[in-house]
Amino acid sequence: MAQDRRTFLKLSGLGLLTYSVGGASLLMTPAQARAKKVPLTVLTPDEARTLEAFGETLHPGASEAGLVHFVDHQLSLDPDDCMSLVKYFVNDPPFINFYRAGFKSLQDYSKAKYSVSFVALKDADRIELVKTISRDNPKEWPFPPPAPLFYMVVRNDTTDVLYGTIDGFRRLGVPYMPHIVPPERW
Amino acid sequence: MQYDEEVDVVIVGSGAAGSVFAAKLAQKGKRVKVLESGPAWTEKDLYSSPIWARRLRGASPQLDEKGKQHIYARLNSGRGTGGAALHHYGVWPRFQVEDFKRKSLMGTGLDWPIEYKDIRMAYDAVQEEVGISGDAKAEVWRPPGAPYPLPPVHVFKQGEKIAAGFESLGLRVSPIPIAVLSRPYKGRNACVYDGWCDAGCPIGALANPLAIYLAEATKNGAVVQTDSHVTRVLTDKKGKRASGVEYKDKGGATRVQPAKVVVVAASTVETIRTLLNSSADQHPAGLGNSSGLLGHYLMAHPAVVAYGLFDDDIQNYLGASGGQLFSQDKTAKAEKAHPASGRRHWEIALALKPVDIQGLAISRPELFGVDLERFMQRAARGLAAMTSLSEDEPVKQNRLVLSSKKDKYGMRLAEVHYNISPNGLALYAQSKQDGMQIFKAAGTRETWMGPLHAQHIAGGTVMGSDAKSSVTDANGRLHDVANVFLGGGSVFPTLSHANSTYTIHALAWRSARYMAENWNEIAK
Repeated sequence: MAQDRRTFLKLSGLGLLTYSVGGASLLMTPAQARAKKVPLTVLTPDEARTLEAFGETLHPGASEAGLVHFVDHQLSLDPDDCMSLVKYFVNDPPFINFYRAGFKSLQDYSKAKYSVSFVALKDADRIELVKTISRDNPKEWPFPPPAPLFYMVVRNDTTDVLYGTIDGFRRLGVPYMPHIVPPERW
Repeated sequence: MQYDEEVDVVIVGSGAAGSVFAAKLAQKGKRVKVLESGPAWTEKDLYSSPIWARRLRGASPQLDEKGKQHIYARLNSGRGTGGAALHHYGVWPRFQVEDFKRKSLMGTGLDWPIEYKDIRMAYDAVQEEVGISGDAKAEVWRPPGAPYPLPPVHVFKQGEKIAAGFESLGLRVSPIPIAVLSRPYKGRNACVYDGWCDAGCPIGALANPLAIYLAEATKNGAVVQTDSHVTRVLTDKKGKRASGVEYKDKGGATRVQPAKVVVVAASTVETIRTLLNSSADQHPAGLGNSSGLLGHYLMAHPAVVAYGLFDDDIQNYLGASGGQLFSQDKTAKAEKAHPASGRRHWEIALALKPVDIQGLAISRPELFGVDLERFMQRAARGLAAMTSLSEDEPVKQNRLVLSSKKDKYGMRLAEVHYNISPNGLALYAQSKQDGMQIFKAAGTRETWMGPLHAQHIAGGTVMGSDAKSSVTDANGRLHDVANVFLGGGSVFPTLSHANSTYTIHALAWRSARYMAENWNEIAK
């Protein structure tokens, strides 16, 4: 469907991704994709729940902004085309292995320390746990990647989805000043 | 195996060095083909987005890293036409006179086989072609050379605030030497100070290969073939002359590009890896490795960013990513107070975006939750930043070897053993201390330092006058193979404190000139 420039800029500013729904490609923001429950392509439902809970602790509003659909989309791309910062800090693609191991360690560590999964933790305990893993790799953290690296990468994903678009800049009062507005996917 | 038509020169890589070789040799009438591993970019692909910008860096090179310090190979390299120079920040100080004589002057590291006076003409020529903004007189630490062709870039409030901190401590600042146009130059547009350098500069204000040397190369008939990953340099039966390169095309088929001369300029990591993977019966330890030093003396700049938070709007979103001002005052060993040999410098007042590697969010990695949200609101207009680069001493044990792991083409990956030298760490420690003092003197509400990280990977195929103790000669030519030249930071015997891209350009300019002048002997 053809778009006029005004509509195109508005859509781009929202940080649209291309989602496949019922065989058709639709332009949506990650937030819209989340609201419409667009099926995930890489992350499992359990992983999505963990990411949403972790992301919401890292930055309130990240889950509603579509963190899970943003990360799922990046992980569905060829590693060279991936636009998550994971690409800079993790040597071995496919990057889903990094996230998958991180989710497993996060859950196991939570169970070891609090006897429940991270998703089931109270807010105060989530904050305490994240504070710990942001600084050090606790001895109960069972697998690589190291906890601080996992924290850093997912934290960057949350800030990308919240502040990485024209809308995100606007929320901070930072002028975007584009030479070339990014196209429809981001 | 399919064979392409022979060319005079095949160049591996289209970045800072490869593009200069291509431009200068095509200009001399040579049939030039550039093989670029990544995709083709044009200015229209350089979207202003901190997220889209990450396409300009790929998921390669993949590494096994064994040392204490990550070299951040993917952050420090590029993917596609223009290589890392497509997204670099354009801070272009010259190496200094003593950088070429480190061992003679300081007793550690290596000497270059050339002196500053041997490269000065190339610096001046590249500067004229590219257009550097700055003020040579105010930059009192600068070695001799022609004045900059363009006046300094604009200084916004962030720069003024930090400069006041330097000045209150008795430290001088100068306009930053930067390959960003402060005025229109040779048909290219001037910078509009929107801070999108990391995403590539589609208006051509920042010196990138698309805007300058690749454009010149293709205008003179050079062919730039993308999605063509060179796996090996091929040689004749005696192993003394290169016959061309083997590469994988876009479809994954193996092809051979015959050439009279081969230039490998594929980034420090990939240049070394390509030569090591080019082993054959005549050179079982890799091509050009009779010295046993191929891959050794790997270096990087120990880098740290100092941050300061002001209460007022300091226009931190305006300017070039690389900064507005520069200082080298009281950063040298020559001054007795300094604990380590080598030099440092400050790149002052970086243009900031909310996210990415030079973003507001990453400046305070320990913050999360509502604290992060509050910080982002305050930092959006009040965060100031400046980067210190320090010199890393060349140490033989810092090296790149081949891993037992292989890439998708079956070629062995790089295994990196890298620890910042003790001197580099001492310089970094001094920068941490100075950065805090300077920002406090500037009147910040809060001041802190970012983590140590590595910028600008260099060394590994160091040049020298003796074939027993170096890999290439003073022109970047392999001692062992007369028609193979190397371009890029891998040939540096020392890294200086200075950002490498200008010197990479100047060395490539100098080597290309040597090749053209001695073509019959080289290409015989």
